Amino acid sequence: MARTQDHEREQDRITDEDGVAIDSALVGENLELSYPTSEEPIVDCARLDIPEEAVTALVGPNGSGKSTLLKALSNHLEPETGTVRIHGDDLDSFSQKALARELGVLSQENNSLGSISVEDLVYHGRYPHRGFFDSVSETDREAVERALELAGIEHLRNAELGQLSGGQKQLAWIAMVLAQDTDVLLLDEPTTFLDVHHQFRVLETIRQLNEEKGVTVAVILHDISQAARFADYLIAMRDGELYDWGPPEEIVTEQLLADVFGVEATVRYDPELQVLPKRALPDR
Amino acid sequence: MAETQPVSGQTPAQQRAGWVTGTLVLFCLASTIVTVIAGLVQVSFGEYSMTFLEAWRAVFNPNVIFNINTWSAFLFGTELPEMSTASIVVWELRLPRVFVGVITGSTLAVSGAIFQAVTRNELASPFVLGVSSGAGFAVLATLIVFSGLASILPLIATLGGAVAFILVYTIAWKGGTNPVRLVLAGVIVNMVFQSLQQGLFFFADDLGVVQTAVAWLTGSLTGTGWDEVKIAILPAILSCAIAIGGARQLNVLMLGERTARSLGMRVERTRFLLSVVAILAASAAIAVAGIVSFFGLVVPHIVRNTVGGDYRRLILGCLFAGPALMVVADVGARLALSGTQLPVGVVTGLVGGPYFLYLMRKQQSMGEL
Repeated sequence: MARTQDHEREQDRITDEDGVAIDSALVGENLELSYPTSEEPIVDCARLDIPEEAVTALVGPNGSGKSTLLKALSNHLEPETGTVRIHGDDLDSFSQKALARELGVLSQENNSLGSISVEDLVYHGRYPHRGFFDSVSETDREAVERALELAGIEHLRNAELGQLSGGQKQLAWIAMVLAQDTDVLLLDEPTTFLDVHHQFRVLETIRQLNEEKGVTVAVILHDISQAARFADYLIAMRDGELYDWGPPEEIVTEQLLADVFGVEATVRYDPELQVLPKRALPDR
Repeated sequence: MAETQPVSGQTPAQQRAGWVTGTLVLFCLASTIVTVIAGLVQVSFGEYSMTFLEAWRAVFNPNVIFNINTWSAFLFGTELPEMSTASIVVWELRLPRVFVGVITGSTLAVSGAIFQAVTRNELASPFVLGVSSGAGFAVLATLIVFSGLASILPLIATLGGAVAFILVYTIAWKGGTNPVRLVLAGVIVNMVFQSLQQGLFFFADDLGVVQTAVAWLTGSLTGTGWDEVKIAILPAILSCAIAIGGARQLNVLMLGERTARSLGMRVERTRFLLSVVAILAASAAIAVAGIVSFFGLVVPHIVRNTVGGDYRRLILGCLFAGPALMVVADVGARLALSGTQLPVGVVTGLVGGPYFLYLMRKQQSMGEL
């Protein structure tokens, strides 16, 4: 994929520990996002990078614009101004189906689909790869098997979605997105409302996918301590703006926690990054 | 991206045929049996009564079934070859009515099932979304005001239904639609069209016209024959075939708007096209039978309760259950009261309403699918 020279223009582009520049799978530029019902833009951000083959976590308090930003990145919300590019190409240059072969999205939409089996749900992930009259191909079958295995829910394949626990349901939905077989994956709060065991199951699935297949992941996480331990990069949002971004070790500070989340916290860097929130700060 | 590839060994269709469950097969089989029995009852009784056996012989009379001339007489109006009285009564008068029942039953059920998926609302049906009342108004206006156009009544009904639905869709549209807005808009458009219908009655001066109009508005198969079969059969086959083919799209729509979008579906376009199919199906039925109440709403529910919510199964189930229930209801409408025939819509309303209430009481929540 050809990289455009836009990348060179960028002043503070991300580098890894050795100072080597990292390419971005998704780039948002001059984004101003708003809903038809709102007067002022909800998100205003000059530049946003989702680094290639890494796990990036979007964090921020409720209403800071994380979900809105994710909607714009997944082409569910047309930005007022600005562009989003995936591997250098504008999102608008893709047909809906072609985009769905590049970019997998798991939204927070949780439908009470009672009677669908897990396997049938995961097969829906193959939708962008199939034409209107195409039947299931061997490729589809393999992708579904891989997805079920990766999510660790092979034993649930015949279970009905309505019978599963919240965590198992979430893993089934994730398997559906995995079956889409995309290079980039956007997940909107996949761990919220799950018990700790399933939170880890979800995060481990994401990590495994990233390490084995080199899939780029952007994920909204509610829990800052979890995000700090889990992600390669953090994007901290506040009031619709990017507060800071970079590897967690560099940007997670007590100051950030106070500014962004309004909590007093202790941050330990040794032996590993650890965030211990203590109490809420008075209203800012 | 690679599209589907040829597969070695087992075909994927075999591996993925898991959606055809035993329940579905049994359900379709039972529906077929019910349809056949009800159909036989329908052709046996009436002014010219015959035994089951006689009726059976007349229906499966090889001289009729395997005779090209008789079929061309039925379908293209050529001269009818000579037949026994029983055969004529069965094949000319009673059987076509059964066929019309089969066609309207399947199309109304499929139409309701599609509308329920498109709006993701359990309460959706051609009636709720304005299609029926729009078609009804168009028919009434034709009968009372523009009586010269009575010969193209079916076409006018379709047009009225389509206009009403487009109206509903336009009112509900605000950079996209959602189930609640669609149904609300449907309720409003329904009320307007019903007021217009009631207003029209004041302009009717002929009691006969009023009776025809009332039969239309309640839904009736009385007096339907091969002409009605001819009118409805093509749109019915077309819409049902597309519905079967589109079952996967309907399933993906059921995952929710955002998910469907993420999977690469152009949601609004798919919704609209499927709605067109549903209007076509409903209009085929309305054009020959009028507005049969509750049918498009209740049948998909009965099928869903039995075979599950997967649209591949649901559509197929509707195609079998719709005819069974319609033909049975029409037997009731025709034979329940001696001497007079009820409109079939009265029967479906009387049975369907209470059944729907029962469903509501039984289920914890109703509304969004």
